Order: sequence, then C-alpha cells, then structure tokens
Amino acid sequence: MASGPLETYSPSQTLERRHQQQKRKSFNEIDWARSDGRNFHQCRPAYLRTGATSSASGSAYAEFGSTKVIVSVFGPRESKKAMMYSDVGRLNCNVSYTTFSTSTRGQGSDNKDFSSMLQKALEGAIILETFPKTTVDIFALVLESAGGDLPIIISCASLALADAGIMMYDLVSAVSLSCFGKNLVIDPTSEEEACQDGSLMIAYMPIRNEVTQFTLTGEWSTAKINEAMELCLEACSKLSNILRSCLKENVLGFTD
Amino acid sequence: MVGLSAGEKQFMHGGIAQDLRSDGRQRLQFRPISIQTGVIPQANGSARVTLGTTVVIASIKAELGKPAPLRPDKGKVVIFIDCSPTAGPMFEGRGGEELSSELSVGLQRCLLGGKSGAGAGIDLSSLVLAEGKICWDLYIDGLVISSDGNLLDALAAAIKVALSNTGIPKVSVIVEASAEDQLEVNVSDEEFLQFDTSGVPVIVTLTKVGRHYIADATSEEESQMSSAVSVSVNRHGRVCGLTKRGGAGLDPSVMLDMISVAKHASENLIAVLDSEIAAAEAAEDDGS
Repeated sequence: MASGPLETYSPSQTLERRHQQQKRKSFNEIDWARSDGRNFHQCRPAYLRTGATSSASGSAYAEFGSTKVIVSVFGPRESKKAMMYSDVGRLNCNVSYTTFSTSTRGQGSDNKDFSSMLQKALEGAIILETFPKTTVDIFALVLESAGGDLPIIISCASLALADAGIMMYDLVSAVSLSCFGKNLVIDPTSEEEACQDGSLMIAYMPIRNEVTQFTLTGEWSTAKINEAMELCLEACSKLSNILRSCLKENVLGFTD
Repeated sequence: MVGLSAGEKQFMHGGIAQDLRSDGRQRLQFRPISIQTGVIPQANGSARVTLGTTVVIASIKAELGKPAPLRPDKGKVVIFIDCSPTAGPMFEGRGGEELSSELSVGLQRCLLGGKSGAGAGIDLSSLVLAEGKICWDLYIDGLVISSDGNLLDALAAAIKVALSNTGIPKVSVIVEASAEDQLEVNVSDEEFLQFDTSGVPVIVTLTKVGRHYIADATSEEESQMSSAVSVSVNRHGRVCGLTKRGGAGLDPSVMLDMISVAKHASENLIAVLDSEIAAAEAAEDDGS
C-alpha cells in the first residue's frame, strides 16, 4: 500500500450536490452503495510518485485504489534503420499486464488495444518536432488491475514523460466513467466495469483545453454525454493538478 | 501512402474551406454507396458495400457454441477485420495488423454495447438456445478489398447489410438428453430465422482537415487529417459508441458539435442503406 499523501480528484461537491438533488427528484432510481463506500461522483484516492525505476530516462508509479501501474520512458533513441525518415519523433507504446494482475491468471492479455490507445492519447500532447529521426519508448506495466486501467496508464505515462524531460504541451490526465441505467459512476472498479451498461473515457489536456482521446460504448443520449463529459473534464483538471504537484515535490526534494 | 505535393495540399484545404471538395462533394456528403447481398454462398449472410472506390465485404457465420460461464444468458459475437495486402502495399505485415485490430476494436465498441449488453446493436440474448448450455456464436468477418478511405463506415454499413441478409437455421432443442450437460439439438436446414437488425447502428466518421470537418473522407483527404471522430448512431438517434482517431487534440465543445453533426448525417445514411437493402432484397427475390 502507498504510504504518503493520498489525494483525490473528485469533481466538486457543488456539482455533486446538484446531481444528488436531481436524483432525489426522480423516484425510480435506486441508490446503492459502491463496494468501497464511495458515492457516485467520488474518485479513488490517487498516489503518484516519479522515479520508479532507475535505469529509465523517466518513470512513474501510480496507485489509484488498488490499481497499480508502473510506466517507464526510455529514449529518445535513434529510430530503427528500417523505419522511413521522419522529421518528427515517433512514439512506441507498449502496455502489458503481469500474469498475477487479475483474479484469473493471465486475463490481462484481453486488452490488446491499450497500446495503440495510449499512443493516440499521448501523441497530441508531445512536441514531436523536438526530437526528429528518433523514437521514445513508453512501457507500461499493470501490476494490479482493479478497474480504470487505461486512464490510469495514460495519466501515469504523461507523468513519466515529464519526468524524462520530454517536451510536452501539457500533461494529459484521463478519467473513465461507467453508466448504469440513469446513473453515472465515475472512476469505476473492475467489478463495476464488468456489469456496466456503458462507459466513457476521456484523456484531456486541461491547460490547452483539448481532448486527446475519447471513447464511448453503450447507448447514450446527447444530454447524458454532456453531463458525463462535464464530470470527467472536471475530474481530469483536478487530476492534472495532482500530477503537477507530484512533479513539483520531486524538484523540491532535490533542492533540499 | 499518399504523397501529395504542397500545391495539391493547398488545393484540398482551400476546397474544403469553401465547401467544395476535390471530387465535387460538399463537406458532409457521402460518396455514392451501392450494396450487393448474398455474395458469399458458404456464409449465413454476406454483403459487399462499395463506397466510391472503397470496396469491403462482410460475412456472417453462425456456429453452435457454449455461452461463457459468466454470461449464461448471452450468445457470443466475434468481429474480425482483415486488411489484405491485395488492397494496397501498406497493409502488408505489421501495418495491416495494426489497422485490422484498430478497425475490429472500433466496430466492437460500436456494435456490442456495454459490458452488460445494454445498448448493443446485436441482441445477444436472442442468440441463446438453452440457457448456459447452447447458443449461437456469431462470427463477423470483414475484408477490405479496395481501400480509398473511410473503411470504418464502409465496414459498419457492410455488417449492417450482411446482418439483414442473415438467416439463422431454426433449432429445436431435444429435451430428453443422454447426459445432463449434453443437449441434443436438431438443426433445420430448411427453415431460417431472419435476424432482427433494427437496432444495428451505422458509423459516421468525421475527419477534421484544417478547421473544418468532412464526412466520408477519401484516403487523400485522410492523409491530411489532424484527427477524426467515428460516431455510431442507431435508428433512434442515440449514440452507441464513439472512437477518436488521430493524435491531435480537440476542444470539448468541437467534440460535442461533431457528435451532433454526425447524428444528423447518420439519418441520411440510414435512409440510403434502408432503401438499398430493400432494393437488394427485391433483386434477390426476382433472381430466385
């Protein structure tokens, strides 16, 4: 378990209260307690640290509830000879799961598309022009999978990139959300993800106000997409502040 | 890969800004679409969709299988897309694999709904024959024959048409089984059940080139895209899935605008597909 400051990035209470009031108005909604005692718009506490591995150019460790992720960034290194000439840098992303990360052994290999999703989420944030002809490797390892894996990998990877000193426009933070009937549940655990009616994931750069990756499954009305986006974007902005303060702490640690 | 000169690029950007694209279309206009059903006799259902010069084939095969232990009341749907190198040299080796898996994941996201099966275009519960024991496994295979952009929309349309063309053999479960777990079934080869395709969505991809976005981009236009959003919309105007392609970021308000534009464009596409399906069915009836 993490020993250190745990910070939460839940969307603001006022927004939450407003939604709760809305909820009371409609009678057919059943309120249930989440398995870890959170309410619907409350995120898990986040613990982040840079410098998880020493041999990498930059690395970060993230622990959100019991989801644990390590991301290492290597490079920039010379692109392989077989690759075509490119005047912008390339990203090589790889997401892997440990065999013991899920309750059934080796289940993590179901998520083959995570590597390309991670690449697309980060590509728009990195100033690729600063390292032409070269490649940056980003390797993510999920130590324990307990829901919201991809958004946590994305947030952790942007922290690792910053730690490696790769030039970026902004830090990317990502948050996912599950939909159960009329209810929106932010930062779902894997039990919640297994029975969700729909899901939404946003990777966002708060300062540039740009969405770099957005996926949605299940059936949604426009009003619900609006509401879910509003919740996620706010949580992303707060998570970005946590990422920033983590980097600052790291610098302060050096000067002391 | 498409190599465009600086002049060609400027011509394309300028045209898109003035709502007149290189092939004379408006920004949100699709290329002419034509469909053909029953192109693969061995499959339960199949369709070929031609969208301009993009040609794709979808085939549906149904096989008897066992439901997953965690979801005894649901059948299984497997979507696999093959980008053959015959469509272009860039599909050889890893390039083709990456695109194939990207398209497969995109289609799965759009067609299969949430984990609980809510909002799925294909009703998984209708595939179950005996709960927990026997169900239909639906294998959806897509093949890209000729690639000129907008593969995802063409494939989704092909799958929609192929599903409407699919007949699943009628199965009667014989209750008196020899062992407890083993059920005997009688698969009829004369009676077929038509598949309910009313809920199957279409995908509309809006490609952002410069400050504007265009529907049904050709591969030349796709080479100039900064990002693209694929929205799948069903008959009721509900969004059933969304995938963003391309690395560049988008403003959240632009994103919402693109969703509503895609919803509007999907109405036309659904209407066109419906009339084409009806025409293809009529043609097939005449032929037989």
